[in-house]
Amino acid sequence: MRELGVSEVAAKLVRDAINRGFDEAAARVVGLRAVMVKLANSEVSVVQRWNNLSASLYLAKGGRILTTTLSASSIDRIGELVERCLSAASQLKPSPLYAPLPEPAPVEPLSGLVDKAVIDGMADPAPLAEELIGEALDEGAEKVAGTLALSYYEKGLATSRGVELRESSTGVEGYLRAFVGESSGQWAVGSRRLERGALRLVARTAASLALKARGEPRDLKPGTYDLVLSPMVVGNLVDLVGMMSSALAVMMGFSIFARAKPGSKVASERFTLLDEPRNPELLGSTAFDDEGMPTRNKPIIEAGVLKTLLHNTKTAAKMGAASTGNAGWIRPHPWTLHIPAGDASLDEMISEVRRGLLVTNNWYTRLQNYVEGIFSTITRDAVIYIEDGELKHPVARVRIADRLPTLLSNIELVGKELHDISWWEVKPPVRAPYILVRSVHVSRPFD
Amino acid sequence: MIVHEDVLQRAVDLALELGASYAEARYHRLASSSITTRYGDVISYGERLSEGIGVRVLVDGALGFSATNSLDWEHAREAVEEAVKLARAHARLMKSRIEFAEARVGRAKYEAVSLKPFDSMSLEDKASLLIDVWKSVGEAVRECKVMTLMCSFNESVEEKTVINSDGAYVVSKVPRLSVSYNFVLLHPQRGTIQRRFSYGASGGLELLDEWRVAEEASEEAAKLERVLVEGVEPPREPVDVVVGSEVVGLIVHESCGHPSEADRILGREAAQAGMSFIKPGMLGARIGSEHATVIDDPTVPRSYGFYLYDDEGVPARPRYLYREGVINEHLHNRWTASVFKVESNAAARAMDYNSEPIIRMANTYLKPGDYSFEELIEDVELGVYIRSYMEWNIDDVRWGQRYVGLEAYMIEGGELGKPVRNPVLEITTKGFYSRIDAVGKELRFYPGTCGKGEPAQGVPVWFGGPDVRLRRVTLGVVAR
Repeated sequence: MRELGVSEVAAKLVRDAINRGFDEAAARVVGLRAVMVKLANSEVSVVQRWNNLSASLYLAKGGRILTTTLSASSIDRIGELVERCLSAASQLKPSPLYAPLPEPAPVEPLSGLVDKAVIDGMADPAPLAEELIGEALDEGAEKVAGTLALSYYEKGLATSRGVELRESSTGVEGYLRAFVGESSGQWAVGSRRLERGALRLVARTAASLALKARGEPRDLKPGTYDLVLSPMVVGNLVDLVGMMSSALAVMMGFSIFARAKPGSKVASERFTLLDEPRNPELLGSTAFDDEGMPTRNKPIIEAGVLKTLLHNTKTAAKMGAASTGNAGWIRPHPWTLHIPAGDASLDEMISEVRRGLLVTNNWYTRLQNYVEGIFSTITRDAVIYIEDGELKHPVARVRIADRLPTLLSNIELVGKELHDISWWEVKPPVRAPYILVRSVHVSRPFD
Repeated sequence: MIVHEDVLQRAVDLALELGASYAEARYHRLASSSITTRYGDVISYGERLSEGIGVRVLVDGALGFSATNSLDWEHAREAVEEAVKLARAHARLMKSRIEFAEARVGRAKYEAVSLKPFDSMSLEDKASLLIDVWKSVGEAVRECKVMTLMCSFNESVEEKTVINSDGAYVVSKVPRLSVSYNFVLLHPQRGTIQRRFSYGASGGLELLDEWRVAEEASEEAAKLERVLVEGVEPPREPVDVVVGSEVVGLIVHESCGHPSEADRILGREAAQAGMSFIKPGMLGARIGSEHATVIDDPTVPRSYGFYLYDDEGVPARPRYLYREGVINEHLHNRWTASVFKVESNAAARAMDYNSEPIIRMANTYLKPGDYSFEELIEDVELGVYIRSYMEWNIDDVRWGQRYVGLEAYMIEGGELGKPVRNPVLEITTKGFYSRIDAVGKELRFYPGTCGKGEPAQGVPVWFGGPDVRLRRVTLGVVAR
């Protein structure tokens, strides 16, 4: 079926499913070509390349909900799968989550999602990888590790309500960890466009953070500190908030919003979090969701107030809301998150801290209780102690261990420079500033 | 559709013709289905089929990987050509050539045993099993409301054919089953308590006869309600801590298995899953007491991480990572084996056709001792027993780690006492292994999906161990 376009394949799959007896069907067909250069010890550890065609189907019969995902090799044999799903549907009771697929709505395509330079760059990304390594070493790094990924993505969507849509996009993700002795710094960028300057900036920032954290790191006494969180850290933590804003996460017990209603105060008034799918600059942007609904930019949290959960038509019907254009057939999800800029510079934030830390990167965020938001996450790379408004000395790895609602409520300053972050620990991508949070619990391990 | 092995052999031959010094082609198929319930209702049923060919080549000392999910020769040929071309183009960025160690690769076919096939039970009965969890948890709690409860039932079959230029030919088939639940109990004054738990193993529906999912979920709910309602803060002074098997399993996975991955030791994962406190040359260094022996063994029958040959065709065997408190052996693939000048111990594994094989754990566990649970606690004057956990994490060199207890109890005068709420075991790797002074005799395993690599690969593993006793540990508390 590779000779057909993605939306034609999707339409054919929908017709097949309906002809075989399903009440409703939707199909999303994705063609992906991508190349990724993985770097370690300032050389290439592996170059990976993909060329795949995959299809996902949503099927409904008598209120039962079924989904399937297929590889190219089996798309031609969709009939067998649909028959099996029909048999499965006959054995299950209707889903309380069921609601009909929506009627088609006008979708305004997004322009600027494809950058030809990305597609051209996929043929030979070696010069870009070389540039990333070289820039970091020139800046003073002793060695680097990281990833450069270029992709071209075609999405076709069809539904039995008559939706037939297609969208193409390119993507660039680059991140680098630079080492100077035992200290390290890491930075990342995600974009629809291949901008060499942005990649070079990633390399220089990673190296400069590693240089800034040079010296013997000191152990921090556990306690409460003010934290200046970099966009890397902010990205990781607001991804968690974004995930929790999915109405399904609320229904399934994976959200701090399980006991909050839109209109509730859930964060500091200085904090706004947007889902911004219609900004074509942002990796993750798209014009339509998996039900064919047009996406729209919207605040999830605005000036500290929860404005909306993210819905598909099913969760919306269940909760008496309207779709927000965030389907997922089962799970609504954010497309790409954006924290609007505040007015503080990084230096101003640091100057506001009497006793605290500049935290530049983190990973491994886990929760004891999603409803209460009890979590911890661990710093990695440069962490620098701040005393009386000045950066003092590097600090050994610590853990931010608090409650997410406390962290959101204690946000005091929001930075004026925004950074488009996408890497291993920040997906979906986030456009984020530095943020100053007051009085956060920090711990370290017992020897 | 099972790919014609001729396509794989031709792919390997073509890569060699194009100048590769090593080539492998892997057909990899993962078929799975799942039922998801919320309270007593089926929310959805899902099927997934992932099937394709992954090709890996070594060209001029650089490694290239390429994947396609079209199984015809044209796409396989293109995958080989692209992998060779990209590896060659990047070879000039190599400071040292990647080489693979010699290995005695296998030619074999094997299959994990499934006594009751997945289709021997109706979907309706499988869904009923999950709905029984809802009923039994609801009946188990007295003062709390079940705020949410979701369950899932997952079946999968993984099939692979691996052919490489050193003569490997390995065909395998492993069925796996898992059942998971997540519930939140709500008390009007005491807030909430949350539990996620999974059963998982390789095999068929016979596993359900052993798992007692609804009964155990019900017992857990009753105990956790008590923790929520009556739980006290842990003591703040240093106390003895008996760490339950479930937590021990996770600890050995995180602080022995991961830092023992030789690719991590060499920095290959530095920008993603991180590095290791273990450096080249540290074999023989002491990390714990003589009770600390940790084994990773892919060949454990019915295990979630079961395999007999890795994805480079090397026969699997148990790996003694820490032996009696000493760093003894790392996890190797053929590349790291070459760097460390040892033989591969068959740790190369890929999540699916789309993923390069990298070093992974399989089934990691602490070797059991000879104590009964009663013997472990009988001479503890004041301590805490941590049976289960929710939150955990570890730093990027696998040294500082944290596990927050969920079901936990005071130990007073050698007996279990009041429940303890959210005791925090935040400890260094050496701090943990050095404090083990007694090890239980009952070995239990728990399933997990271990993440590593870029793009991230999640592979099924078991981790396990017996209960262990630690002396003189300062526990923490969670932020209020």
